[in-house]
Amino acid sequence: MKKNIYQPIEAVIEDVRQETAAIKTFVFKPKSPFSFRTGQFIELTVPGFGEAPFTPSSDPAIAEKLEVTIMKAGKVTAVLHNMKKGDVVGIRGPYGKGYPLDKFKGKDILIVGGGVGLAPLRSFLYALFADIDKYNKIILRYGSRTSNDIVYKDIIPEWSKKKKVDIMTTVDMGDPAWKGNVGLVTTILNDLPLDLKKAVGVVCGPPIMMKFVTLKLLELGFKPQDIYLSMEKNMSCGLGKCGHCRLGKFYVCKDGPVFAYEDIKNMHDIWD
Amino acid sequence: METYFLKNEDILRFYALVARDYELYVPVKAETKLKVDCDYQFKLPTVDYRVESYPKVDKEKIVFSEYRSFEPIRSFFTRAKEKVADYFDPSADNGTERPLAICGVKNCDLFSLKIQDFVFLGGEEPDPIYKKRRETALIISSDCPSFKEVCFCLAFDIPPHVSEGFDINLSPLDDGYLLDFASEKAKKVAATLKDILVKAESRQLHLRNIRRDAVVKRLKEHLSHHQIPKKEALQEIVVSGLDSPVWKEQMQTCVECGGCVFMCDTCHCFLLSDEPIGTGNQRVRSWDGCLYKNFTRVAGGANPLKMRYMRLRNRYLKKFDFFITNIGFQACCGCGRCIDVCPGKIDIRYILRKLYEEKHLSAH
Ligand code: SF4
Ligand code: SF4
Ligand code: FES
Repeated sequence: MKKNIYQPIEAVIEDVRQETAAIKTFVFKPKSPFSFRTGQFIELTVPGFGEAPFTPSSDPAIAEKLEVTIMKAGKVTAVLHNMKKGDVVGIRGPYGKGYPLDKFKGKDILIVGGGVGLAPLRSFLYALFADIDKYNKIILRYGSRTSNDIVYKDIIPEWSKKKKVDIMTTVDMGDPAWKGNVGLVTTILNDLPLDLKKAVGVVCGPPIMMKFVTLKLLELGFKPQDIYLSMEKNMSCGLGKCGHCRLGKFYVCKDGPVFAYEDIKNMHDIWD
Repeated sequence: METYFLKNEDILRFYALVARDYELYVPVKAETKLKVDCDYQFKLPTVDYRVESYPKVDKEKIVFSEYRSFEPIRSFFTRAKEKVADYFDPSADNGTERPLAICGVKNCDLFSLKIQDFVFLGGEEPDPIYKKRRETALIISSDCPSFKEVCFCLAFDIPPHVSEGFDINLSPLDDGYLLDFASEKAKKVAATLKDILVKAESRQLHLRNIRRDAVVKRLKEHLSHHQIPKKEALQEIVVSGLDSPVWKEQMQTCVECGGCVFMCDTCHCFLLSDEPIGTGNQRVRSWDGCLYKNFTRVAGGANPLKMRYMRLRNRYLKKFDFFITNIGFQACCGCGRCIDVCPGKIDIRYILRKLYEEKHLSAH
């Protein structure tokens, strides 16, 4: 029997964690083990409503369970947010190329996240932690709108305790309870404890945030080929066939979703 | 290649024999509103052709089509809307379709199939439904003894007769047809036709060449009135024409009907959606097109192609930049279906010519 590329496999919701008012992390248990490389994405089916693409936020070494952190943004995610433990969804994939971990060996890795953009980066961090000896340093800079919009509140402090890891967070708008930095994420990108000669930047967040972070990194002296961006596009098939996700000569689903800035910088509409 | 002659009176037997093993489609005349008038002395035909199911059609109505049908040939391989999967039921399959035999396929259509093949057979995972249909289908192409006003295949060096990519080809002569049998599948068909086929004579082959050359000459003359840029210039003019006024100017009359993308034989975009059926759900694949407003809109609401002119430009970038980079040729075969169908009279030939002029003959 030929494989049907449009067919999802069944997965059961094992747990739902409320991250913020609009963001939840879902733990899925697929019918059969589902492995992915960090940075690859899946098409998630909400039965009867359709699919939407998400990059898993869990440890890619674990194939039995899959976590996806999802912000309520459209039709499919709204239905998903009402689903509970025990409900059934579908999963197709994984798709795309994921993070080029090979290129990061021996490097100082600067990771910049914005809002729910920390989700794919969480999976990326787990992949780095698993092989920590291969990398020189991991620097995470995370910004969210307010302190209520921070995801993985309980997990971030644990990451900070790990060796070779340096973490700073910021919020765009402060509040009395917030003791940390106030300002856009670009304001915590000065005086980074890294060696530019062997640094790479990995950025994930809303397009406007990625734009300004990219400009900032270039200004700091990062080379375009050392800045990696997660590009968001409307996607349907995930297979390089439906045509929705074209970015210049690429399809984001098949050639991305992570791109070196060098490869896309001359395209006219990358931030739109 | 084996070439045979088939008498006019035996053509129906040919169809009947093909129909024994295949789900056969044959050309019939169709009255449509798809007309672009020719504004000089060339008297070009305006009749249209449709490919109809052979068992259902009145056999008297079957004709030899002088040019491509109005519907794109891709519609046989991916339907405008069809089920592609049932949820979680790996045994679900699109069943046992009989293999297709499609008559009236022209060289422009064959060029388009190269693009469809790249999309649906290429990449890491081929589309199983397309693959099955495509591999089992018998493509019965034919020469174009004439052309429509909107035909411009030859502008891109695609001649109005075939050289590859078909199983059987028909070339009309006065008293019958020359049949080329190119593939193994075709040779099997030829074997069943032994008693009505005779080996082609060199006189007949010679006559075919004369006729083909005559159509090419006439089409060339017709195209000279349109001044369409050569295929070698397409990528350059579209990429450098990002800020051309032509996009906004042409999009003033677009009503976003989607006709151009749905009639296009090289367009391939689709959307997957899910619908309930019985107690379960099924996944449906529908043709989609980048001229539609929400084609690139993301869940959060952002849309890189907000304006109509951006969508038109995007369509050209896809056809003439993306495809030329990725497969080495443009995703446009010159069939002119998009020109025929557009209620806004938006004409790809005009847009390409404008882009060329702006780039190469700009006002000093
Ligand atoms: S575009 Fe060319 S090949 Fe196609 S129908 Fe017209 S003349 Fe024939
Ligand atoms: S056929 Fe014409 S009016 Fe319809 S979407 Fe295409 S360009 Fe617009
Ligand atoms: S999502 Fe279909 S081509 Fe990329």
